[in-house]
Amino acid sequence: MQADRRRVNAPPGGTTPPVFATPSNTPIARPVRSRQPDEHRKIFLRTGFVPSASGSAYYEIPPETTSQSKTLLIPSSSSLKITCTVHGPRPLPRNAAFSPNLLLSTHVKFAPFATRSRKGYVRDSSERDLGMHLESALRGVVIGERWPKSGCEVVITVLEGEEDGWWGDAQGAEKSGGWGMMGVLAGCITVASAALMDAGIDCVDMVSGGVAALASDERGNGTRIVLDPSPSEHDIKAACVVGYLQSRDEITEMWMKGNAGVQTEALIDEAVKAAVMTRSVLGEAVKESVELKANHTDRNVKEKGSANDVTMTG
Amino acid sequence: MSNGVLTAPGLAFPRETFAKLTPGPFLHTHLKQTKPLRPNGRTPEEFRQPIVNTGSLSHSNGSTVVRVGDTAVVCGVRAEVLLASDIPNPPRDGMQDEELIEELGLLVPNLELSTGCSPANLPGNPPGTVAQSLSYRLLTLLHDSHIINPADLRIQYTEPPTEDDETGYAPRIVTKAYWTLYLDILCIAHDGNLFDAAWAAVMAALRNTVLPKAWWDPDREMIICSPLVSEATTLQLHSLPIASTFACFSTSSHLKQRKEAESWILADPDSFEEEICNDALTIVLARHQNAQTRILRLSKTDGSQVNAEAVQGCVALAEQKRAVWESILTGG
Repeated sequence: MQADRRRVNAPPGGTTPPVFATPSNTPIARPVRSRQPDEHRKIFLRTGFVPSASGSAYYEIPPETTSQSKTLLIPSSSSLKITCTVHGPRPLPRNAAFSPNLLLSTHVKFAPFATRSRKGYVRDSSERDLGMHLESALRGVVIGERWPKSGCEVVITVLEGEEDGWWGDAQGAEKSGGWGMMGVLAGCITVASAALMDAGIDCVDMVSGGVAALASDERGNGTRIVLDPSPSEHDIKAACVVGYLQSRDEITEMWMKGNAGVQTEALIDEAVKAAVMTRSVLGEAVKESVELKANHTDRNVKEKGSANDVTMTG
Repeated sequence: MSNGVLTAPGLAFPRETFAKLTPGPFLHTHLKQTKPLRPNGRTPEEFRQPIVNTGSLSHSNGSTVVRVGDTAVVCGVRAEVLLASDIPNPPRDGMQDEELIEELGLLVPNLELSTGCSPANLPGNPPGTVAQSLSYRLLTLLHDSHIINPADLRIQYTEPPTEDDETGYAPRIVTKAYWTLYLDILCIAHDGNLFDAAWAAVMAALRNTVLPKAWWDPDREMIICSPLVSEATTLQLHSLPIASTFACFSTSSHLKQRKEAESWILADPDSFEEEICNDALTIVLARHQNAQTRILRLSKTDGSQVNAEAVQGCVALAEQKRAVWESILTGG
C-alpha cells in the first residue's frame, strides 16, 4: 500500500500487534452476563460538550470492571464510547443543486484505538455502511421541508467500539460476525438523536436505537432472546437493531443479521423494547440540556449592563 | 455608544454581534481598559486550567483525555512490534542510542482534526495543512526532547552459546525487535491552542503507557508477550516538557506609524483570539529532576511585533504554567 504522505507513517518494515501467550496457570474465563435478559446496560449521555458545533452529544456505556481486568493486560470486554457533533443547518455551497429539503449527511469514523486491532485513518466500507444505516434512521425523523437549500452534517467519532465476539474464542483470526457493529449502530442512532435535539433541528419525535439478540442459552440447550447484548458474553445466533419512534410507534431503521427463524418477530419486539429503554435516557439528557440552556440565557440577561460590558467608541 | 442601558434595544447590539462584526476592535476595546480583560473573562496572562483523565480507553496501552477550557483532546498509545529482521536499513552499529528512535521511526504521532470538532474541520477530507504541521511539530518535539529511553523500546534476546564458541565466551545480547508506539491524537472539541493540549495529552498518555513483558521465542521465531499486569512495565519519561502558547495582538497597520502601535501578549489564546492574531509564540520548557528548567523549543511566527523583553516575560509565564501543569499531569 502506498504510504500516506499527509500523515506520519509507520516504520517501513511494518509492525505487528503483540502476540500474547497466557501462562497455563492463569485461567481465562469468558465474561458472564450478570444482568437479566431484559435489562439494559447503564448509559451515560450528555449533550453540548462541543460549544462551536450547533449540537453535540457524548454517549457511553461504562465498562464493567471484573477481577480479570486487573490481572490481565488484555481487556476482557469493550465499552462503548461515541461522540457526535451536528453542524448546521447551513446554506449549501453555491455550486450545489437546488434542494427543497434539508440535506442530511452522516459520517461515522472509528478512532484508530477504538478496536482490538488498530483501525486506519481512511474510512473503510464498514464505516461507510454504518453511516448509511444511520442516515436512513435519521432521515425519517427530521422535518426537512423547514430548511430548503440547506445542509446538515452529522459527524460521529467512535472512540471505543463494541467487539464482535470474545477474544478468547478467536485466537489469531478476527471473527467477522460483525455483531459489534449492531451495538455501535444503536448507540449512533441514540447519540445522533440527542445531538440533533441539542442543535435545535425540528424532528417529528425522538428516535432511539435498540438492539436485541438471539443467543444460545448458557444454562440449557435452547436459545433465548437478550436485550442489549455484549457480544463477548454471548454466543449470538442472530441480532436486530431498530431505530424506533415511540410516540408514533414507527420504525425508521431496521437491520437484522443471522437466522432467527420463527423468532424473528419476537426479536424485533425485543429490539423495540430496548429502544424504549434508551429513549428514557435520551429524554432525560435532552431535558437536562434544555434546562441548562434556559439557565444560561437567564444569566446572560442578568449580566448585561454589568461590569462585564465594555464601551466601544470610534 | 455606551452599553449597559437595557432600555434602548434598538441601538445597542449584544456582545456577540460586535464580536462577529468587528472582531479586531472588539478585542482591542477589551484590552485597552485600565484593567485589561479579554472577552473570555481571563486576564491577558491567564492560562486555562487543564482537566486530565488517564486510562479511560481499554484497547490502548496508555490513554488520556485532556480538556483545556473548551478544547478537548483524546490521545491513545498503541504499542506494536517491529521485528529487527523486517527493517530494510538496519541501524548502523556505531549509532548513538538517542538517534535510534528517530532513525527507525519508533514514535508515530498523528493528530486528527477532521472529527467535526469545529465547523471548519469537517470529516471526509485528508488532513489539512494545520493538522499536518501540528503532527510534524509533535513528532520533531518528541525526537528533540529525548524523553523516552530507547532501551525501554528494545526487545532483547541473549543468544545461547553455540558449539563453536570457546568456553568463557560472554553471551551475546541481540536486539530482536523494537516496540513502536502509535500515538493517535483526536481533537474532540476545538477552541484554540490545540498544540498545548495535544502535547500535554501525549505526555500524559506516554506516562500512563504500560508495555507488556516481551521476549523472543527461538522455537516459534516470533516475539511473545506476557498478558500479566504484574510483569508489565510502565514507560519512564526523562522529563515532562510542557508547551505554552501565546498570541500577540497588535494594533499596528500599514497606515500608522510603527511607534503608535500597541501590542498585547495573550496567554493560551482561544479560537476567537487565534483568528484575529496572526502571531503565535510557543515555548516548550523542560525540567530534569533537581535541575534548572531549560528551554526545549521556542518558536515564533511573524517576527515584527514582539520585542525581546516581552519574550522574556513570556518565558517567565511559561515557567509558572509548567509548574502548575506538571503537578496536574503527574498528580492526575
